[in-house]
Amino acid sequence: MKNRFRNLSLQGKISSICIFANLLIFIVNIILIMGINRMSNEMEMVYRENLHLIELSDGLTAVQDNMTAYLNVKTSDALEDYYRSEQNYSQMVQELDDDVTGRTFDRMERNIKHMSEKYLTAVAQTIEAKRGRNVEKYRVRYENATQLYDYINTYIYSLNNEQFINNSENYVELLKAFRLFETISVAVMFVVIVGNVVIIIKLAGTIISPLKTLATQADEVAKGNFDIELADSGAEDEIGVVTRAFNQMVISIREYIERIRLSMEVERNLKEKELMMEAHLKDAKLKYLQAQINPHFLFNTLNAGAQLAMMEGADRTYQYVQNVAEFFRYNVKKGDETVTVLEEIELVDNYIYILNVRFSGEIHYEKNIDESLLGVKMPSMILQPIVENCVNHGIREMAGEGRIKLSVYRIDDVVCISVRDNGIGMSQDTIDKVLNGTYREEELAVGSNGVGMDNVIARLKLFTESDDVMSIVSEGKNKGCEVIIYLQMKEREEDV
Amino acid sequence: MNMNQNKIKKSNFTLILVATTLFVVVTSIIGIGFFRFYMNHFKETEDETRYQRYYALITEERKSSFWQSVYQGAYEAGVKENAYVEMLGSNLSTTYSREDLMRIAIDSGVDGIIVEADETKQMAELINEAVDAGIPVVTLYGDSTQSNRISFVGVGSYNLGREYGRQILQIAEEQEKDRVKVSVLVNSYTQNSSQNILCSGIQETVENANKSGTDIEITLVSVDNTNAFSVEESIRDIFMENELPDIIICLNELNTTCVYQAVVDYNKVGQVNILGYYDSETIIKAIDRNVIYATVSVDTEQMGQFCIDALTEYYDYGNTSQYFTADIAFIDKDNVSRYLGGGEDEE
Repeated sequence: MKNRFRNLSLQGKISSICIFANLLIFIVNIILIMGINRMSNEMEMVYRENLHLIELSDGLTAVQDNMTAYLNVKTSDALEDYYRSEQNYSQMVQELDDDVTGRTFDRMERNIKHMSEKYLTAVAQTIEAKRGRNVEKYRVRYENATQLYDYINTYIYSLNNEQFINNSENYVELLKAFRLFETISVAVMFVVIVGNVVIIIKLAGTIISPLKTLATQADEVAKGNFDIELADSGAEDEIGVVTRAFNQMVISIREYIERIRLSMEVERNLKEKELMMEAHLKDAKLKYLQAQINPHFLFNTLNAGAQLAMMEGADRTYQYVQNVAEFFRYNVKKGDETVTVLEEIELVDNYIYILNVRFSGEIHYEKNIDESLLGVKMPSMILQPIVENCVNHGIREMAGEGRIKLSVYRIDDVVCISVRDNGIGMSQDTIDKVLNGTYREEELAVGSNGVGMDNVIARLKLFTESDDVMSIVSEGKNKGCEVIIYLQMKEREEDV
Repeated sequence: MNMNQNKIKKSNFTLILVATTLFVVVTSIIGIGFFRFYMNHFKETEDETRYQRYYALITEERKSSFWQSVYQGAYEAGVKENAYVEMLGSNLSTTYSREDLMRIAIDSGVDGIIVEADETKQMAELINEAVDAGIPVVTLYGDSTQSNRISFVGVGSYNLGREYGRQILQIAEEQEKDRVKVSVLVNSYTQNSSQNILCSGIQETVENANKSGTDIEITLVSVDNTNAFSVEESIRDIFMENELPDIIICLNELNTTCVYQAVVDYNKVGQVNILGYYDSETIIKAIDRNVIYATVSVDTEQMGQFCIDALTEYYDYGNTSQYFTADIAFIDKDNVSRYLGGGEDEE
């Protein structure tokens, strides 16, 4: 029944509740009305017997009157009347009960019946005597009959009276019962109505509760919380349909969000991979370039040149060749290693020497170095490309004496290495391009070791795991340029 | 967890629904049941047992506690024998004489008549008529010796007389007078044989056992009982006379009560000794207050029972004993407390 109720539509449910409640009240009402009906029947019964007795009394009086009338006038009409009334009364007497019981009424009724039978006989005898003109006899018999008539009348009257008193008592009792019944009825109706209200509230509650749950869930979802417990009342009504649709919707949204999350993750991974690929590519490119020079051949050749210069007593040539050899060895050897600042500075020294030999001492090279910072680790091939850039782009294109100043100092925990030239300087646009890595040199300059600024920046970034690795300062056209790289001191020491 | 809660909620709901429905149904059923019980109970207030036989008890003083007690005894004995005994005329609007009631009983065709008879011719005729009509008649308290009644139930009048005699002697002794005047109140216009026997019983005892030599004078005073209230009037008349008797003997309850009241009214307590009849509450209390000297207690219920025994025996064997004598006992100051307590218990 429960399930059938649950499977009803909303309209059906509400209707069934109303029908059920009304039916209950209706049934109770019917029962109460039946009770009232029964009571009113009882009340009617109270007076029925009194009416019957009055009829009996009337019948008796009719017999007596008709007899007297016949005795008076002796007409056949009177006789006929007598017979009719006698018939009538005798019939009524026949219907009386003959039982002796504990009830006074029953016994009085019995006595009336017996006396009436005697009376009818006496009357019949009187009439007979009168017809036979036996004056003496009919007088005596008349008196007998009249005496009996009196007795019976008294009995009927008394019985009527007794019954009336008794009935009145009964009536009072009935009235009391009626009042009691009224109270009971009201109480029962009250209980039924209260029960009805409870049932209606409960049933309405079952209808509404899934809706409430749904509302709460919808509210949660509206707040962005999709991780809610989805409840299904299992009901087949409209609310059940809405609930299931809502649940389906929440599940779909969840799945959709999950899909988006997955695809974003994949994309991120792809990007990471791409970056790695790029780095590797660069690395490979470097390795390739480095591999192009056969180191052993170059060193042997340069060494042979140096020995030759020494044997010929050309000390400056020997010095020069020795420096070149050192320069290239460093390039080959330290291509992908972490080196110290000192090593980098030595490389720069070599490079400047070579350049000065090549360009006959055009470049004035100054160093201002905090000796305590020489052991700080840094990637290789950083300073030399910077200096090379300064020479190639700054000094070479200017007229006059070129200067390069290399400074190593620290600001708090940051080791700063500054390369300053007095060349033509850089426009801000170019500085930005260089720092973004979007500046592309058309071709490798002559005498370059092939390492560009973008590579330097990228490697510094990877090494320091920070974006703030380099700044370029140029005060304007022909006012020179300063490139400063920053190294985190602590981290470097930890690495050592 | 939510599902569990849901289940609990659902079972809870079902419980409440079922409980409410049950409650409503049970209340309705109890209400209807209670009402029905009430109605049925209301209808069954009167005894509807059917009885095989129907006996009529006829007396004039239906209301007196003496006759009520007799009736009670007869009624209870009758119920045991499947017979209903009715105090005839008690619920009729007209007050009928015994003779009228006899007629009614005969004409109603009862199965037996118990009547307080007397020695009048009319009564004898009526009794005979009843017997002729096949209705056995038992005379009670007063006999109709000339009739064809099947049995007489009463107190042994001669014995009762002797008892009264002894009481008179006792009073005479106590009073230490030379002359004691005794009045016996008898009903006038009734040739009541038992009254005569009783009086001779008193006479003989007084004469034979009078050892003190006191002169005891016994007179019969007629009390007019022919019509209503006449008894009370004739008793008052006695007190209007100059010379009051020392002892008044009453032979029925009504007389006793009337004399008792008269003695109190005329302030003759202690001056007139009353020997009463029957142990009604009023009389017992009067003994306790020293107004009545003594009274005779008749086992009235036994009398009633004897009547039924006689009728039953007549129906069973066609014959029965001519006389039944009920037990009597005297109540005076010494043993009144026992009856007084009993009387209160009955209340």
